[in-house]
Amino acid sequence: MPAPTPPAPVDEKRASFEREALVHLDSLYRVAQRLTGNAADADDLVQETMLKAYRSWDQYTKGTNAKGWLLTILRNSFINEYRRRTRHPESVDIDAIEPFAVFQDVQEEDPQGAFFDRIVDDEVLRAIDTLPETFRETVVLSDVEGLSYQEIARILKVPVGTVKSRLFRARQMLQRKLYDYAVGMGYIKGSKP
Amino acid sequence: MNCRECAEHLYEYLDRELTPELERELRAHLDECPPCGEHHDFEALFLKFVRARCRAQGAPPELRRRILRELFEE
Ligand SMILES: [Zn+2]
Repeated sequence: MPAPTPPAPVDEKRASFEREALVHLDSLYRVAQRLTGNAADADDLVQETMLKAYRSWDQYTKGTNAKGWLLTILRNSFINEYRRRTRHPESVDIDAIEPFAVFQDVQEEDPQGAFFDRIVDDEVLRAIDTLPETFRETVVLSDVEGLSYQEIARILKVPVGTVKSRLFRARQMLQRKLYDYAVGMGYIKGSKP
Repeated sequence: MNCRECAEHLYEYLDRELTPELERELRAHLDECPPCGEHHDFEALFLKFVRARCRAQGAPPELRRRILRELFEE
């Protein structure tokens, strides 16, 4: 019996790319949207990322962390080609931002955070979009895409400690924005005069 | 572990990023300190809420088609 013909290299490349890279399309798209702030640029950024990834697919060690590898390409492309013409990069003095503790404000009225339930998807995305870029990208990679501190540190090229402190601030800022929104909408009375 | 340290490490705890030893200490504190326990539940709920609200949207089908065309059909 003749041995089965091995698959052509192109088919194999395509198959492994579909299996390991294209499955992360939704994640790439969500991150691209939060980075660029608009659907058209997000589309282009994701498409470009996938093209670059496919071209350099041989350099990726199969079976390792494809999601992190793709997100690194996406973020580099964003910084090099999109950031200049979409949003302005901000430099944020982390120490100048007050740490907020929303829990202390809601402890009496709504310690279970029931007011969150009334806040819809779009409002949360809008709140994330108003965070400074460094905080926004950290919170999206962690809280939306579920990456570890180490993976985020690698993508953003910062120490793990920086990821940790940014995440702390970003979450507190986001909570504060959502809390203020909920108070404004009358979902919660709020404890501030 | 005291309440201040507990609050400081709460996110790392929720993110499963603490060393096993610190994780044990923090869990022990949560068990014996109701206010920190409530704070923990609040932050856990917040993280679950953000994730749920932000993951509804995926790549549009048209973008997927465009990419497949571009990659495989030249
Ligand atoms: Zn305590």
